[in-house]
Amino acid sequence: MIMNPQLTNSIVEILPRVEGFAYPNEATTHPLWSVLIVVYPYVTGLVAGAFIMASLVRVFNVKPLEPVYRLSLLTSLAFLLCAPLPLLFHLGHPERCFEIMMTPHLSSPMAMFGFVYAWYLMAVLLLELWFDYRKDFVEWSKAEPGLRGIIYRSFTLGVHDVSDPAVQLDARMGRIISIIGIPSAFLLHGYVGFIFGSIKANPWWGNVLMPIIFIFSAIVSGMALCVFLYMILSWARRTPIDMDCLDQMQKFLFFALVVDAAIESLDWVHRLYSADESIHILKSLAAGRLFYTLLVGQAFCGTLLPLLLLGAIQLFGRQMAVAVRQRVYLASSVLILVGVLAMRWNVVIGGQLFSKSLRGFMDYKLEFAGHEGWLASLGLLLLPFMILAVFVKLFLPLSAPPQGGGLPAMKPSGSTGAA
Amino acid sequence: MQRPRIPPQILRLLVLTIVIVTVYSIARYFLTPQSFGMYGWYRAVALDEIAARPTTYAGRKACDECHSEVVQRLAKYEHKSVSCESCHGVGQAHAENPDVAVAKLTYSHCVRCHEADPARPKWLKQVKSKEHYTGQRCTECHIPHQPNEVP
Amino acid sequence: MKTTLTRRRILRALSGAVAGLLSLAASRKAKAAVQKMLVASHTPKGYDPTKHKWLMALDVERCIGCGLCVEACKTENNVPLGPNYFRTWIERYVITKPEPGSGELRGEVVVDSPNGGMHGFPSSLVPKEQILKSFYVPKLCNLCEHSPCSQVCPVGATFDTPDGAVLVDPKYCIGCGFCIQACPYGCRFMNPITKTAEKCSLCYHRITRGLKPACVEVCPTEARVFGDLKNQAPDDPIQRFLGKNKAAQSLKAHLGTGPRVLYADLDKEVR
Repeated sequence: MIMNPQLTNSIVEILPRVEGFAYPNEATTHPLWSVLIVVYPYVTGLVAGAFIMASLVRVFNVKPLEPVYRLSLLTSLAFLLCAPLPLLFHLGHPERCFEIMMTPHLSSPMAMFGFVYAWYLMAVLLLELWFDYRKDFVEWSKAEPGLRGIIYRSFTLGVHDVSDPAVQLDARMGRIISIIGIPSAFLLHGYVGFIFGSIKANPWWGNVLMPIIFIFSAIVSGMALCVFLYMILSWARRTPIDMDCLDQMQKFLFFALVVDAAIESLDWVHRLYSADESIHILKSLAAGRLFYTLLVGQAFCGTLLPLLLLGAIQLFGRQMAVAVRQRVYLASSVLILVGVLAMRWNVVIGGQLFSKSLRGFMDYKLEFAGHEGWLASLGLLLLPFMILAVFVKLFLPLSAPPQGGGLPAMKPSGSTGAA
Repeated sequence: MQRPRIPPQILRLLVLTIVIVTVYSIARYFLTPQSFGMYGWYRAVALDEIAARPTTYAGRKACDECHSEVVQRLAKYEHKSVSCESCHGVGQAHAENPDVAVAKLTYSHCVRCHEADPARPKWLKQVKSKEHYTGQRCTECHIPHQPNEVP
Repeated sequence: MKTTLTRRRILRALSGAVAGLLSLAASRKAKAAVQKMLVASHTPKGYDPTKHKWLMALDVERCIGCGLCVEACKTENNVPLGPNYFRTWIERYVITKPEPGSGELRGEVVVDSPNGGMHGFPSSLVPKEQILKSFYVPKLCNLCEHSPCSQVCPVGATFDTPDGAVLVDPKYCIGCGFCIQACPYGCRFMNPITKTAEKCSLCYHRITRGLKPACVEVCPTEARVFGDLKNQAPDDPIQRFLGKNKAAQSLKAHLGTGPRVLYADLDKEVR
């Protein structure tokens, strides 16, 4: 379902050829950065977006969102664990990847990957999850026998103190980390945008707005993913959906989408108005080779339709039946997820479809199998969902209310469990 | 005596952090190449490694060592800017061992430069090989080493 | 209380160990650095990269599009023969006359580079009467002063040498392709055999031996000029070029990469 815009492209297998002129080195049969590099910013964006959703609960005390707090964090973690894989697969020499940590070239945005990633994984996500789950781990490790018990016990890291002051400290630490986490999430994905935005050689990429566009599209896609997962999970488990929570999620999703759409439009208005030497080739790129993914996929299906759907709910939602609202929510979150994937495609592949001589277009034949083919990227897109399934099984047991354990300490009276 | 006590969970994380940083520092110490950073952010020995690659084109000086007579003659005529290896092909192997022959010359060597083409500058002498004395070899009229002389 | 005490002790022991390790590392590193300096002081053949500054310049008016340079480059540097692997290549520009009465300066600009011009060029499809101007442009690494390719290399596998070349360390390159994306001139490619980035090395193995780069060596018309800006030989071709072509241009200068390679008589359409 998520792969739709890409599939339409792959079906049309075009022989590599050049229309107009391209520098000989550019006219390769495969894009240098292929579908794998499309998957990479997409997955990273979902990480950042899901984390922002969780932070709404932790930092901004949006109470109705509590039922998805842990789910968002776990989603973020599952996707973060998979984020470096597409990069690694695409390297010519994956066995040398450690060099990026050993001799990081400070002027290279890519060299920062190792550190930004390690920071986000270990100093933000794992820490926040650990502080949030510590009390549960201790309790579960006592209650659960066998392998599960061992897993929970190892996650306690040997700290079994669940006295009130200790749990209160956990909550305080969790909040501090979450506050640090918001700029970190921006850093993580803004940095991915900067990898493209800093390439002045490529007029499609080299753009100051690129990191900001990446951040907002990341937030939008991550929130849409949380909506999608929450609904799917509730249906799979036959637990009632907390409509309060869902409405609230959609509200934030809608506002994020408005900002995202505004910035992306600004990007285009600015390009068209300032009209530098590259504008002719970019216009024909958008209207030609990227027509289906950019105008149809990203702009219409991924932005305009969900804006209209969610906007309608913002205006008339309260009169609509719950079932209608749920369907609209599900549809719009899927549309957004597809749209953001199309956006990543347009940026990464689109930037390699025209020659830097600005005199021609390349056609790319994208293979199905092979380590840079469709199959590999589909696998890499599905892998985080599988990891998430394990996480949900381990860390979101049906018996316990899916709600942040540390939260009561912040406002002991206010917070109640899920519906 | 009551001294400020580090909470156990914080202590555990501190220890973990120290372990990670230590492991990273040790790994970095052992995995950074020796000559890294001598001139800049790269392996300085790479310069020597790249400089040590073998050559295939010997250069005009090497030809001059044995064929100085031809080289001096060439220098008097219009083809003086043309290097020996432009027509005769790679010469490093031949320079090291004269038994290794250089490439045979053919008609295509002449038209490669002298075939008429609007993109070629006006000062270059150009012919339409399909109209210019077809059936005859170039060397029947032209001497490549002395192109100004027509026998 | 007792447990914290033991923890404390462990912590102290640990930090001591770390401090010891770090100081050991520092001392060994210092020693290694000194050793490196000693060893490197006699680099091969007495070549000192800090004492040279190489430059290539191109005279567009003299290029005849024979493709000998492209061929020589591939042979000399063992470049894969495919049609997308070039350290240097030649482009042919054909600018047509404007439609009569259109008021335009020029007509269409047609550019091609069949197989990089390695085997010369077939005759142009544009009839001679319609051609306003036609010429060949040899391309190669522009030896940027602020090379975007070395700027983005995450590991330091591509770099600007002190003598003006921009090189790739094939033993250290991880093959991410970032440098290829960052080069505005399309001068880099991914070598399909070594899986590392590759580009014009200015024939570093030749110039350090006192030879000219292979393309310059075989160029029959002296369209390619090469020399050392720090050691001016009498009647130096590069000095002659600079003296004659005071308005020589570089490619895509507006990007701020500081391309050092100069082109004489460059048409404005060349990108």
